[in-house]
Amino acid sequence: MDRLDAELAAETSRRRFLQKAALGGAAIAAAPALAQGITQGLTDLHLPGGNAQRPMTSAFPGKGSMILQRVHPPLLETPMAVFDRDVFTPNDQFFVRWHWADIPTSIDVDAFRLTIRGHVNKSIAINLEQLMRLPRVEMAAVNQCSGNSRGLFQPRVPGAQWGNGAMGNAKWLGVRLRDVLDLAGVKAGAVQVRFGALDQPVVAGAPDFEKALDIDHARDGEVMIAFGMNGTQLPLLNGFPIRLIVPGWYSTYWVKMLNDIEVLPGPDDEYWMAKAYKIPATPGANVKPGAKDFPTVPINRMIPRSWVTSLGEGQRIAHEASIPLGGIAMGGDCGVARVDVSTDGGRRWFATKLGPDHGKYSFRRWDAQVPLPGPGQTALMSRCWNTAGVAQPMAPIWNPGGFMRGNIETTTIVTA
Amino acid sequence: MKAPTPGMLAVGLLGVTVFTLMMVGPPGSYTPPPEPQSTGPAPSSISVNGFTLTSDTVDFPIDEQQYPDGPHADVINANCTSCHSASMAMTQPVLSADQWKTTVTKMKDVYKAPVAEKDIPAIVDYLTAMSAAQNGAPTGKAQDPAPNAAPDASGGTG
Repeated sequence: MDRLDAELAAETSRRRFLQKAALGGAAIAAAPALAQGITQGLTDLHLPGGNAQRPMTSAFPGKGSMILQRVHPPLLETPMAVFDRDVFTPNDQFFVRWHWADIPTSIDVDAFRLTIRGHVNKSIAINLEQLMRLPRVEMAAVNQCSGNSRGLFQPRVPGAQWGNGAMGNAKWLGVRLRDVLDLAGVKAGAVQVRFGALDQPVVAGAPDFEKALDIDHARDGEVMIAFGMNGTQLPLLNGFPIRLIVPGWYSTYWVKMLNDIEVLPGPDDEYWMAKAYKIPATPGANVKPGAKDFPTVPINRMIPRSWVTSLGEGQRIAHEASIPLGGIAMGGDCGVARVDVSTDGGRRWFATKLGPDHGKYSFRRWDAQVPLPGPGQTALMSRCWNTAGVAQPMAPIWNPGGFMRGNIETTTIVTA
Repeated sequence: MKAPTPGMLAVGLLGVTVFTLMMVGPPGSYTPPPEPQSTGPAPSSISVNGFTLTSDTVDFPIDEQQYPDGPHADVINANCTSCHSASMAMTQPVLSADQWKTTVTKMKDVYKAPVAEKDIPAIVDYLTAMSAAQNGAPTGKAQDPAPNAAPDASGGTG
């Protein structure tokens, strides 16, 4: 096995070298090192314990200025300032997260096929034109990485060290997953539906990235297959030509470059459902730091979150009796009911005015005019209640995967 | 090395001149080089009910970054740059030797990284030393309650 894998790795490496060579001498000469070739300046994610500097990059296809977490395979984070401009995140600054490095760099819309197979009456493969002729739905929904804000966990945990920007909100245009499943005809006794994509592991034997939803969830009429994102086709790095949209659930289920749907007569017991993306089966996915051997469940519904976006961490402003403050909130698996803010570390809270409602799964803008305490360091906080009555807690949770952070976040500014 | 004869120089000069004339072409025939995007046939597209999808071809940037110099840097550079960038390891928080060993073992056993068993101690040593060096200068904000225990590496991913 080791020898086979080594050979495959050598082949992968050779292919990558040939790809580099094909780019021409200029590309190689211009990029002798990451810092000199494809990045411009550094940003500070203010992660507790340090190692929080990240380069900014505009070198990725279809992407503007992004925080570079990893080139290969890409992990690109959205700067918080982007969320202050609009509740919809522009496609060219929407976060990017891939697990495996073998990602197609070319998609032919004529050749692309989506397979629906497994526990169905008739396995089929449809093309994009057939898919686009199905009844259309459009929905605003937040796509948030399970590990968004992992870098803020204390004690820190291994994994992608995201700040708060592994999330985005878009208007997704597409078709209902239910309608696509009905083309093949789901057989009685179906339990789950598994989703596969065009990206592949770079070594043989590694677990292909696939996720599954319960059949009733898959057929609920909300889960959709999107070909449009904010009015245009998806950037390749966000899953062109189609991706799964699972409103209210974490992004791990929003399979990009979706090309395979398999209806299962039992639960998916493969790696990415059975072993990875598991959270403690405890309230709030919270366990004592260092705990292990607790029961786990696959990560699922999102929880309410909110952020101050009109001012950044460490920003200095002139002291005034009161200032305008704004930000964004999300309800998680339902709408935003209310957002309060504090300018004194959580002692006094003030109501905010909510912006337009774009649907229960969307970001929602909030704004307020709030009094400032005396000059000096000022801890700004926002707290969201969702329409199910769930509010953000003050205390952070901890789990070894660094999943599902949702406590009240603090932005510390300095007034003088 | 043998010096070129006048004949060889003349043939060479003639060759260069012919090549140059061919490249320049007859007067007035110059056309600007095509835009890089417009080479080859236009990408195919599908339009249905007012929405269009157009075939897409992209280049990803190449990561040239290696792990910084240090003991066993050669081993980690040989083993741990093919599946992911060095930055994946270098952006991690301070992790213990046990945590690094858990991570490296997971890369080999679960994600099938072709890492030889004999290379694992050197890789873990390198990463642990990198963590220790980083531990010297903690910065950042401490908005949450202070940590009270070291974490166990586990789970994935996200």
